[in-house]
Amino acid sequence: MLLVLVALGVGLGAAHDRSRDDGRPFPVFEVTSLILRPSTSAFHLTAAVTGAARHSARPRRSILKENAELRKEVARLRAQNAALYEAAQENVRLRAALDLRKSTDFEMVAAEVISRNQSSWFDTAVINRGRRSGIRKGWAVITSGKWLIGQILDADEFSARMVALTDSNSAVGAMVQRSRCNGMLQGQGGDYLTLSYLPKDADVKIGDTIISSGMGQVVPKGLIIGRVVKVVHNKVLGSTTALVRPSIRFDQIEQVFVAKPGQSVTP
Amino acid sequence: MWAIITLVVAAGLQGNLPKFVSIWEGKPDLILVVLVSYALAAEPAFGAGLGFIAGLLHGSLVGLSLGSFIITRTITGFLAGLVNTRLFSENPIVPALSAVWLTVVCELLFLIGNPRPDLLMAGRKVAGECICNAIFTLIAYFAIRHLDTHRKIKLANARL
Repeated sequence: MLLVLVALGVGLGAAHDRSRDDGRPFPVFEVTSLILRPSTSAFHLTAAVTGAARHSARPRRSILKENAELRKEVARLRAQNAALYEAAQENVRLRAALDLRKSTDFEMVAAEVISRNQSSWFDTAVINRGRRSGIRKGWAVITSGKWLIGQILDADEFSARMVALTDSNSAVGAMVQRSRCNGMLQGQGGDYLTLSYLPKDADVKIGDTIISSGMGQVVPKGLIIGRVVKVVHNKVLGSTTALVRPSIRFDQIEQVFVAKPGQSVTP
Repeated sequence: MWAIITLVVAAGLQGNLPKFVSIWEGKPDLILVVLVSYALAAEPAFGAGLGFIAGLLHGSLVGLSLGSFIITRTITGFLAGLVNTRLFSENPIVPALSAVWLTVVCELLFLIGNPRPDLLMAGRKVAGECICNAIFTLIAYFAIRHLDTHRKIKLANARL
């Protein structure tokens, strides 16, 4: 009995890996997703309602304090917005003068995280949009601020599984925004990412912003990923590696956007 | 049937656990907790079968390493079933301690198939998960036993 079940497990695992590599949906997941969906959605709804109730039931003084802080923030952002608007207008004029391609709006699908971190070993989550909404394997998952947080693992009809950049199964092309040095950003299964395959004399410093490089035409170019916190030069291998802290914590994400491939933030 | 329904409910809850429910970055594995709680009081064959379903559900939720999830949970369910026939007694320590060693076995088997670069962090996570699972198994085991006894009494009364 045990051996038969183990053999069946090996077979199912191999079939799943094959269908994932081919980018085909795995039929067993279609069935299990249907079975798990009501339970997952019910607990997600309960958690959301409880969280909202806890957030709204706060002392008046705390709300007033937060309100004052938000007013200050709004004033600061208004001033910043005016300056950015001027810069954008200037950008439009200069682009027209140089006859450059116009930046297109991002094509995205909005989704909600309904289940996450189901295991201690993987940073994965389930979102409530799937193939019916046009989502496909490999598409980039971003936040409203256009920060890259992960990629779609696979999608069934009504939901999709995503893997965070921090997961050890994740790897995307990335570059240093300032110096445009290209490398491969890999998850370590912890809170940090590693930007490897940088050249020996790569111009990378602590505090540099890391963005997606758009290599492979799957993850859009120019999405912010994080900041460099440590740089290691390996003289023996003749390479440079940078430790990157992601801009957003994966466990704090509630709403996400799934971006179509072949787009760019900075055309 | 009730065991499978409980597994589905545990799978739903697993993905929506609050952030503070963790020790040393190790979160409780509620699917494993339910599996151990049922398999402890059952035969090894039942444990293995339930473990297979538990692994399938957990692997489907995560979307990665489906084979590893199925194999490790099937073996864990089988081992939990052996505890029933050889070691089991109605002592609260037994389910809690069983949860600890079964979690260690399950996660070590899983790590063989899915090695981690940072072994120290992996060890800390397993230790945290063991403590969480022991606490939750203690609750789940006696709740399941209580409901099971209640259901059997009702069934016997209906027959009478």
